[in-house]
Amino acid sequence: MARIELSNLRKEWGGAIAVAGIDLTIDDGAFVAVLGPSGCGKSTTLMMLAGIYQPTGGDITFDGARVNDVEARGRNVGIVFQSYALYPNMSVLDNIMFPLRFKKVERAEAERRAREIAGLVRVDMLLDRRPSQLSGGQQQRVALARALVKRPHLLLLDEPLSNLDAGLRLTMRTEIRRIQRELGVTTILVTHDQIEATTMADRVVVMNVGRVEQEGAAEDLYERPDTLFVASFIGSPPINLLEGEADGSVIRLHQASVRFAGSARGAVVLGLRPESLRVTEGGMPARISSVEPMGREVLYAAESPLGVIRFLEPGAEPSHREGDSVPLVFAPASAMLFDKSSGRRLDARIVD
Amino acid sequence: MSDDALLGHAATAAGQPDWRALARRTWRTRFSTQSLLLVFLVVVSVPIILPYFWMVVIAFTARTGGVASDVLWTACAIIVPTVLVYSIVHMTVASAGLRLVIGLALTAIAVGLLAALIGERLHLANFRFLTRADFVEELRSKATSGAQFPSVWRAFFNSLVLAVSQTVIILSVASLAGYYISRFAFRGRNGFLQGLLVLHAFPAMTLIIPIFLMLHWIGLLDTIVGVMLVLAAIELPFYVFVMKGFFDGVPWDIEMSAMTDGATRRQAFLLVVLPQVRVGLIAVAVFAFIRAWEEYIFVRTFLIENTNWVMSLYLFWVADDVMGVDYGIVAAVAVFYVLPSLLLYVFCQKYLTQMTIGGIKG
Amino acid sequence: MPDFARAQVRRQWTNFGLFLGPALVLLLVFFVAPVIIDVVLAFTDMGRTLALGKFTLENFERMFTRDTRLLGALGITFIFVVATLSVFNVTFALLLALVTTAVPRRLGAFFRAVWLLPRMSPSVVYALLWLWVIDPNERGLLNQIVIHVFDMPPIDLRNNHPLLVIILANGFIGASLGMLIFTSAIRSIPEHLFHAARVDGAGPLSIVRHVTLPALRWPISYMTIHQSLSLLVSFEYILLITGGGPFYDTTVFSLYAYRRAFETGEYAYGAALSLILVVIGVIAALALWRLMDMRRLLQPPRIEVH
Repeated sequence: MARIELSNLRKEWGGAIAVAGIDLTIDDGAFVAVLGPSGCGKSTTLMMLAGIYQPTGGDITFDGARVNDVEARGRNVGIVFQSYALYPNMSVLDNIMFPLRFKKVERAEAERRAREIAGLVRVDMLLDRRPSQLSGGQQQRVALARALVKRPHLLLLDEPLSNLDAGLRLTMRTEIRRIQRELGVTTILVTHDQIEATTMADRVVVMNVGRVEQEGAAEDLYERPDTLFVASFIGSPPINLLEGEADGSVIRLHQASVRFAGSARGAVVLGLRPESLRVTEGGMPARISSVEPMGREVLYAAESPLGVIRFLEPGAEPSHREGDSVPLVFAPASAMLFDKSSGRRLDARIVD
Repeated sequence: MSDDALLGHAATAAGQPDWRALARRTWRTRFSTQSLLLVFLVVVSVPIILPYFWMVVIAFTARTGGVASDVLWTACAIIVPTVLVYSIVHMTVASAGLRLVIGLALTAIAVGLLAALIGERLHLANFRFLTRADFVEELRSKATSGAQFPSVWRAFFNSLVLAVSQTVIILSVASLAGYYISRFAFRGRNGFLQGLLVLHAFPAMTLIIPIFLMLHWIGLLDTIVGVMLVLAAIELPFYVFVMKGFFDGVPWDIEMSAMTDGATRRQAFLLVVLPQVRVGLIAVAVFAFIRAWEEYIFVRTFLIENTNWVMSLYLFWVADDVMGVDYGIVAAVAVFYVLPSLLLYVFCQKYLTQMTIGGIKG
Repeated sequence: MPDFARAQVRRQWTNFGLFLGPALVLLLVFFVAPVIIDVVLAFTDMGRTLALGKFTLENFERMFTRDTRLLGALGITFIFVVATLSVFNVTFALLLALVTTAVPRRLGAFFRAVWLLPRMSPSVVYALLWLWVIDPNERGLLNQIVIHVFDMPPIDLRNNHPLLVIILANGFIGASLGMLIFTSAIRSIPEHLFHAARVDGAGPLSIVRHVTLPALRWPISYMTIHQSLSLLVSFEYILLITGGGPFYDTTVFSLYAYRRAFETGEYAYGAALSLILVVIGVIAALALWRLMDMRRLLQPPRIEVH
């Protein structure tokens, strides 16, 4: 169990910059998700934490001690790879016991610990099998067991759920959370799936092109995104982004204008989450252009004076059809304004 | 480096691992392992590099009766430290630009030293076999010299004819067969492929005696044509597989559209498919050419008259006759002999690496 | 049969003949026919005159009862194949593959290229270099080192330790093929497996033992069989470097057959000896074929139209 600190961590491959200076603190026992699109540098960061890649610059500290130069095998880190990376020629039990060979643990004791962790992870029925005889979910649990058996300071998970089908994903989400809570090990999860990140971790770090865009609790990122990128990455269905021109305290959008408290100039983007729009009497007229039933709710796209807007309505059956005109209203408090060029959120409240 | 618990040894009183000690240990072991491996590689590679280098040195510096070993050791004494210094520079200096500058400077110094110490010893007299056909008799009195030596150009020409025609045969036959196997389902296809595989694994060398007799009966013994056919046939299974592999990689919708445009199968093959496997054809051509250029056993067994000699035989007999007396000439002939295949290797490398047979690169 | 169908059948056959014909002819004439001829020849008495006298079993009788040289040749073959195979073709090749993949990529590639040099050079040149290196007077490269560095008298490897020479010479060549195959196999091990082992705490030797070697099991067995066959059958380098001598001291079985046929003119006897090799060759080739994954190579063809 360790407190991890990254300061100005950089990684370059030849001329290409994968990680461009990250500062991050992860408390002992915390469960943090690093969220971002592919290529944003999250997996590279993970590998640097594990000691597989050497940072080009910056520091990694475990409990205050600089570990940049400590090799992977000395860091006592457990890692579950996206491909699980189980040793194909060994049984499940041997796979799990493998790390204990290098800790000079006696075979009897090692086997006991391996069985114990296999029980925790619920693969104790499969100990004699080979990896090729296991399903994806089972392989992942074995990989998890192998990572945990050495009682690591840090547990790293690289896209653990992306290779699983939907049902299994749900199960493993809860499993991993349960195990982490029981063992209390500092855990860092890397994923591109925002649902994974927000449902499993206590805190979420959003990364983009090698930098940290924002970090915090999931709700904070949802309600108060610092940048356009975070706003559009978090939230499903994605946020509506409407471009307009600001002039003083008025924004001119597609065919209407909106007033807000504050002052701004230049190109701005108005952000409206689909959940914050309602069909209400007296709202602005919007013509439905597409209807998408999504099981529990229906997603509509409509042309409004502000631009094309998506909004949701609960229920399995759509109550509007294409071509219908519906009045839309949004809650001014939940609207967000962003400066277009920098992407930063402007501190301004909309006053319709 | 034993795999014992680094953590076990390096724990402080507080139960936390001693990170600094771990870090130091890591650097030490990584550095020493890499150095050890490099030393090993260098040590085992020297016995290979040295003789080749020596051969080149002899070709350009030796005089009758000598092997120019002093030139060799002097050259080594200059080159080895240069390489060592540069490798240390390469590992310690981070900036690529600076490395380049230092590298160039070192090279200049080395070349300068070489020129100064050895330059005067360089000469081309050993290459006189290129212009004088009687160089053997010159070295040994007519009474003791062996068979009359043909001009090296005769041997060179023979080698060229052999290599080129063998390559042409292989290219055409293997392409045709490879294409057919790749595209057509015919009775016995599986059997044929299996047969080819067995033939490929089967050592043809064991058949040298019956082939010799067969050539004699057909009347092709002691002819380039005979050798050319034999060489082509023996390597055929391998090349058919290689070409099949290339054809398998050509999507067949190209052929189909050619055929719906009105072309016959054969036309489609010639005009549309063949150009697609250009890379494969070049790879096979280069490989087959080099193989035929370097062939010795079959030519030695099947070619008798010295006018039919190819380069490998020529070199062998020159060495046999002259080696005790003049290493220089033999080395020069050897250098002349390997030059074409060496050039082909160097310039066609990227083609050669494309050849695979079921995943095992050839 | 309607005209159209008949024309198609005819076209099928012409295609078959056009495309596959040349290959079939070449293979039949130079692969299949020689095997038959060899079998027949083994039972004749063809000698220097190249004339077929009578059919007889005396070649085999001689082989199994009277030929003392043959016994020697078998012994030499055994030592040669076992020594070269175990030391160089498999073990050293493995070592080279492991070491060149453990150092930075470019360096590894450079050293692999160096070790390919013997195989890639013409056999005549390679043999020539060996002869120069082991030259018994003080001009030989080896002797230069022996004399000047170790202060010992010059050694004559060619005459005193010819078996060692041929083992070394063939070994260098043999190691390179294994090195290539093993390197390719090592490279195909997924990187994550190495990462996982490193994080699990394995040092370089443990990684070799638990990750690399298990993945090499198949290539190693394949190479062992393939190279045994190759060593059993090839004699080119031996012929060039020692000629099989001094006398018959380095004449392996395959070379023995060759010498009997082409040096002493006993063609039928040579054919009989070769026949043994042919049989071994066929068995080994079948065994190798079994070992390889044939399904990929025998994939059904793409188009059915003729």
